[in-house]
Amino acid sequence: MFERRLYHHVDWGLLIAVLTLCAVGLAQIYSATGGWTNIVQTQIYGIGIGIIALLVALSIDYRSLADKSHLIYVAILGLLLYVLLFGAVRGGSRRWIDLGSFNIQPSEFAKATLALVLAKFFGDSRRGIVTRVDLLVAGGLTAIPLLLIAQQPDLGTAATLIPVAFAVVYVAGMPMRILGALALVALLAAPIGWKFALQDYQRERISTFLDPSQDARGAGYQQIQARITVGSGGPWGKGFTEGTQGQLRFLPVAHNDFIFSVLAEEQGFAGVIVVLGLYLFVILRSIESARLAKDRLGAYLVLGVLASFTFQVIYNITMSAGLAPVKGLTLPLMSYGGSSMIATLTGFGLVLNVRMRRFTN
Amino acid sequence: MVLQVSVVMAFAALAISFWFLQIVQHARFEEMAASNHQRTLALRAPRGVLFDRNGKVLVENRQSFSVSIVREHTKDLDRTVRLLASVAGVDVSTVEQIVERHRGEPTYQPIVVIEDASLSQVAAIMARRLDFELPDVLVQQVPMRQYPPGAMAAHLFGYVGEASDSQIGEGITSGAIVGQSGIERVYNRLLMGQDGARRVVVNSMGREIREIGEIPPVEGRRVQLTIDYDLQKAAEDGFRHAGFNGAALIMDPRNGEVLTYVSLPAYDPNDFAGGIDRATWVSLNADKLRPLQNRAIQGRYSPGSTFKIVVATAALEEGLVTPDFRVSCGGGANFFGRYYKCWLRGGHGSVDMRHAIEQSCNVYFYTLGNMLGVDRIHKWAENLGLAGKTGIDLPNEQESLVPSTAWKQQRYGEKWYGGETISVAIGQGQVSVTPASLAVMISTVANGGTRVTPHLIRAVDDGGGWKIATPPAVANKTLFRPSTLAALHEGLWMVVNAHGTGGRARIPGRDVAGKTGTAQVISNQGRQAARGTDRDLRDHGWFVFFAPRDNPEIAGVIFGEHNEHGYLGAPIAKHVIETYFAKKEGLPLPSLEPVPVPAPPPVPEADPDLTPIDEQTPIAAAAGATTAPGTN
Repeated sequence: MFERRLYHHVDWGLLIAVLTLCAVGLAQIYSATGGWTNIVQTQIYGIGIGIIALLVALSIDYRSLADKSHLIYVAILGLLLYVLLFGAVRGGSRRWIDLGSFNIQPSEFAKATLALVLAKFFGDSRRGIVTRVDLLVAGGLTAIPLLLIAQQPDLGTAATLIPVAFAVVYVAGMPMRILGALALVALLAAPIGWKFALQDYQRERISTFLDPSQDARGAGYQQIQARITVGSGGPWGKGFTEGTQGQLRFLPVAHNDFIFSVLAEEQGFAGVIVVLGLYLFVILRSIESARLAKDRLGAYLVLGVLASFTFQVIYNITMSAGLAPVKGLTLPLMSYGGSSMIATLTGFGLVLNVRMRRFTN
Repeated sequence: MVLQVSVVMAFAALAISFWFLQIVQHARFEEMAASNHQRTLALRAPRGVLFDRNGKVLVENRQSFSVSIVREHTKDLDRTVRLLASVAGVDVSTVEQIVERHRGEPTYQPIVVIEDASLSQVAAIMARRLDFELPDVLVQQVPMRQYPPGAMAAHLFGYVGEASDSQIGEGITSGAIVGQSGIERVYNRLLMGQDGARRVVVNSMGREIREIGEIPPVEGRRVQLTIDYDLQKAAEDGFRHAGFNGAALIMDPRNGEVLTYVSLPAYDPNDFAGGIDRATWVSLNADKLRPLQNRAIQGRYSPGSTFKIVVATAALEEGLVTPDFRVSCGGGANFFGRYYKCWLRGGHGSVDMRHAIEQSCNVYFYTLGNMLGVDRIHKWAENLGLAGKTGIDLPNEQESLVPSTAWKQQRYGEKWYGGETISVAIGQGQVSVTPASLAVMISTVANGGTRVTPHLIRAVDDGGGWKIATPPAVANKTLFRPSTLAALHEGLWMVVNAHGTGGRARIPGRDVAGKTGTAQVISNQGRQAARGTDRDLRDHGWFVFFAPRDNPEIAGVIFGEHNEHGYLGAPIAKHVIETYFAKKEGLPLPSLEPVPVPAPPPVPEADPDLTPIDEQTPIAAAAGATTAPGTN
């Protein structure tokens, strides 16, 4: 399975950048939660298991994995169903499978699985163009987990599946006009969705995003606090563990959704640029892997994994600066959360896998 | 390529966003972050302590708890208000009203909802605070004004209260406690001190994490009053003992230092210190006896026979008569075609100035008044301090009125009639004066012509030790002729020590001099008309006095509201004078024997101050109207 020569083709730069981001995230969690807490420990376990998962995902040839993609897909759907029926409820939503000492959030693993199954589907197609039937199949494959996750409800994670589908369909050769038509449909559907698909709290979040001051104590509070947190960091930051906004809990769940705000407060603009640079490096380096991929399957897989990652990074950072509605979307690699960490590192295992095996047959 | 370019552009957009937030707008957000987690808590300065002239503490401060709401991080204000009200056991609507009144203020500013909270309230609130149920409620220890018990000198001290909207500004912030009446108000700037501040770090729950710094409050200036606690107590005891309300202002006639200041009935300033509750306020305002009225400077009454001192002074100083000038009183006399009675039906016979004062002979003073004319009476009333304001350092003093031809012309557009002068000569008609102005008048007579300004502040501790306050300038100085002084003092001495009406103030060896008077509440004819109503129509009594006769050291006025006889005020004066001399000579202070069982004298004494001027209907009625309670 793991041939010795493959070792030389591992993208060490990408791996180091990814692990550096994990370390920076861990440090900011330490700071935001006020020291050596079990949150920090859990995150360390998450990173550890994630690295093992990365190594596992790296060592199995992605092609063999793709061959089993339908099984993995079905397994994930089963887990999502299980969550809907028996999952642990926290904060009003049912997202976790309670395993005693820790919880698993299957929706996090749905992203990589969807990337895998779509890559397999389009990678196998020899036609080079995307037919309507293909689109319907892809849409269906995406819609099932998406709806299951949205039911939890976890709209943020559900939304991250859409970039996966779009990225794969796009590189698979979907005509731009269909993409345009889809965009138009989405635009027309927005008001209907606003009225029927969104929950009250979601509508409130979006409307207060448009004018945070209209409800400075309620939903707009987080937005304003996020801006204050980031803005007060200044060019060089307040220093590690010196941030007042995060530490005094003006920013809710600072170690989770708003970890980047904490970084911006304590490390300043300088720290922001460094971390933005790391993320950009990771993304560009991964796109490079897709370009270098030996087959379409590999390219689609990398881009599928990367699509949800990039979407989440950009959205979360925008939200961290108080420039987007607050959604329960974590910052991959940095935010607190074991499932997210393991799933993301598994995803990068697949990316490294594709690049590593670009010369193998 | 498209992918790479879009990703790079997205990241560039993010970097630019952060540049705007962190570099361009950094200062603004830094300030917001600071105000987020730093809270400035005002430390209320204790107001200056008030001492009496001998250094006895009169008004001080005690520690109390105040409960406030800080709305800065409140998510549901209504919930906080409801919970706080139920925990503290106070009315929800009261708390809501207070919060509503301060709604426009910055949210970090605490709104005090319970002043002077009880220990059980504080314990209940703190328990909830620790449970995070009331994180936005703040309990602070604040100094609170404490006045002497028994509402002593209430109108002198005044009271404090939360600054009204019109008082805010120039260092007085919303919610500040300022003097609203009395000395507290006049000397608010001295007494207020300077509030301090504590800067603390709080978390998002409003819980205090640590202190950053503290500016200690600066206590208000310590102020020494001219008041003598023992004399004040003697006067108030005297009123209680005598069983009527009224006013007293007793001072040192040599310099105008007020020794005693009484207005009864009084309110308890302590009720105001912790924010007066509605019920008490309403009952104070509705009380028929008007406890909020500061009678000594705001009540205006006809001076009655005490005004004869002014007429005597005027006649002597104008050189119209000498003390030996004699008038024959046959029980009345004709002026301007009308017959004016003396109070003594058979008349006093031939009397000179001294005996006319002693006997309070109306005919004698009708005659002097007729010789003087109203304008010269007015002039001398003014010289003696009976017209206009005394200038005492208390708020809302009323002007005393002694008519003149110019005044009548201006006020009514009418000519003055000579007949009106006749009633003015015995302190009736339109003469209407405050107790304070009568105290100044008798002081001027006592000291021989110097009209002093009564004042209440003796010294101020400006932080570097006591500094004697500059006394107000002497308002007027007319040196009386020695013969005038001798005659006035002799006559007034005889009122108390010979056959006059002031015998109840007699103290052997102290040579008390004085004069009684009656302020008609209503004319004899008006009395008929008002019969059956619940108005108290009994006359007020005056007693003005000084002691000793030569080189007087103490002078003043006792005003007895509806006590009917001026001589009933004399025992109060006597008790104060006895206390004064006992204190001066280091003797034990006199005390009043317990209130005797009221046994009415079998034969009512003839009261010379009751003037039977039945014919004077229009003017007397007007005088009655101006002196009726409730009109000033």
